[in-house]
Amino acid sequence: MTEDDGRKMRDALKKSFPPVNTALRRDLWPQVLRRLEDRPARVPWYDWALVGLSAAMFLAFPRLILVFAYHL
Amino acid sequence: MDLDLLQRFAIGEIDAFEALTRQFQGEIYSWIVRIVRDSGAAEDLTLETLWRIYRARHQFRPDGNFGAWARRIATNLAIDHLRRKRPEEGLMTEPAGAPPPDPLVQQETRTKIQMEFRGLPAKLQMAATLALIEEQPYEEIADALGTSVGAVKLRVFRAVRILRKRLNRLGIKPA
Repeated sequence: MTEDDGRKMRDALKKSFPPVNTALRRDLWPQVLRRLEDRPARVPWYDWALVGLSAAMFLAFPRLILVFAYHL
Repeated sequence: MDLDLLQRFAIGEIDAFEALTRQFQGEIYSWIVRIVRDSGAAEDLTLETLWRIYRARHQFRPDGNFGAWARRIATNLAIDHLRRKRPEEGLMTEPAGAPPPDPLVQQETRTKIQMEFRGLPAKLQMAATLALIEEQPYEEIADALGTSVGAVKLRVFRAVRILRKRLNRLGIKPA
């Protein structure tokens, strides 16, 4: 690809895609705030998996509770 | 940038996040709309970017560059949007009091160029849009993509090569 080819392609693209208005027309903060209020903090799935795994371990090996309590 | 403000943001203070939103929302929107070229989608993506910024606040280092970090998040979202969008949906471009189109480039040809360009892989399309249409510095594009200037140049080169092949097949030769 020559430099001239590149320039021709750039010119063709610039003619095909008119400039866009890059100015934001309104303040988005009210919507951001609403979204923050709408979405309560969720516990991620891996935390639930960890809780389940721990519970299963304690059920299978009850003595682990003592080891766990010792390290707390 | 106010270090105290960034520290307060990182620990989740809403007031600090509000100040940063008001300061950076225009910049984020302007970056996204240059890539997706659709004001409605750009607003939605700006909102999503701000939301993700807030969710990822713990990963932000207060001594870092907030603007660059925000731009990287925005760029990833914009690329995802380009991936999801089908080429025929990409024909909407919004002139901003734009100069009248060059009469030498006919409407049909422009439409075909737009369609073929929208059909490029998202990362190539994004790099070519910013570098060739928006004439953004390669350094800025590389920073937003978290890659090197060389990699961006390669993407632009590949985008142009693929586009030329496709246009040649349609009998279009950019003049």
